[in-house]
Amino acid sequence: MSEADRVPVVADGEWTDDVDEEEGVVVNWFAKPGRRVPAGESLCEIQVEKVSVDVPAPVDGELVEIVRDEGDEFTVGDTLAWIRPEG
Amino acid sequence: MIDRELTMSRAIVEAIGAEMRDNDEVFYMGEDVADYGGIFDSTQGLLDEFGYDRIMDVPISETAYLGAAVGAAQQGMRPIAELMFVDFFGVAMDQIYNQMAKNTYMSGGAVSVPMTLTTAVGGTYSDAAQHSQTLYGTFAHLPGMKVVVPSTAYDAKGLMHNAIRDDDPVVYMYHKRLMGLGWLPAPEGPKTPVPEEDYTIPFGRADVKREGADATVVTLGLHVHRALDAAASLAADGIDVEVIDLRTLVPLDREAVIESVRKTGRLVVVDEDYHSFGLTGEIVSSVTEAALDSLEAVERVAMPDVPIPYARELENEVLPSTADIEAAVRNVQ
Repeated sequence: MSEADRVPVVADGEWTDDVDEEEGVVVNWFAKPGRRVPAGESLCEIQVEKVSVDVPAPVDGELVEIVRDEGDEFTVGDTLAWIRPEG
Repeated sequence: MIDRELTMSRAIVEAIGAEMRDNDEVFYMGEDVADYGGIFDSTQGLLDEFGYDRIMDVPISETAYLGAAVGAAQQGMRPIAELMFVDFFGVAMDQIYNQMAKNTYMSGGAVSVPMTLTTAVGGTYSDAAQHSQTLYGTFAHLPGMKVVVPSTAYDAKGLMHNAIRDDDPVVYMYHKRLMGLGWLPAPEGPKTPVPEEDYTIPFGRADVKREGADATVVTLGLHVHRALDAAASLAADGIDVEVIDLRTLVPLDREAVIESVRKTGRLVVVDEDYHSFGLTGEIVSSVTEAALDSLEAVERVAMPDVPIPYARELENEVLPSTADIEAAVRNVQ
């Protein structure tokens, strides 16, 4: 599968306006690899400073790979997982 | 195969959301439950879907809003009212003990009180004597209320569906340490696969979380997971522990406990509530009455009869630990 077939799930969103820190941690994964997710479903919960936010699926598709597991740190803008779009 | 897992708080919210979609009479009242989503995430996301008329922030008067919930329930609605910390029950004791629990009976059955009182319980995070209690026994003691204490996301969802549909008042007690919050991380265990469809778990049915032949550990809430940790470590020494999760205190599944003790002969009861006049005494008495001839040895592991300390070291000292459970199981061998 090439990069072109996959859409990244990125640690980014409007919530970045509310935090100063660039580093965060993945708190909970809800979807398991192989799950077909509708766009907008909460895939995981991340925490930056004291702010917890859900990361939604950007598109309809199958969650094919989790890059940052629970407890892993990330920088805002990092890819947390990959989705293979449907259709 | 279930290809997703939920934290306990999200499983609870999913059940509440489904019941609210199905029944317009279901609504939620509490402090910081609307915009904030509940300080332990008990209503997270519900405001967006249901709005302020059904996810209602209330003034800080437990007497007023618990009383309002009782009245709404008697008029045919199905309120869920949240007591932010169970420790605060005292300011609304009359509403809970005398109105919610008794109005069905005082009215000669003319009204029922189909409300759910949700509340956060338990310690482990240095919140001192007025914010760390479980008070399981305080609620289970008084007739008229059902009392539910989930230990996993799977159980939490099914028990919440059942609580909202029940025609009697239900006290639904969730342990803060099990909810799966970023700032209060849960141990391994409470986050489980959860089916997307609705399902119920009947009250009064304990769950054998681990089967074993050498000792019966009876517990609930957070200590289900500590007991399972203790059982795993004892298994390495060849001690085979059965762990029973009561799941509801009222009704209480005495039969499951008695049946297990008839098999193992050894009983350890573990409770985060206080030692005296509580769950541990009740379970031991019930087994003694029904199966004295099967009982070889008994241990109780509970919070000592002291106000829960603030200092982390002292709180860890009084809270029943995995090591305490292990030691108790060894003592009854």
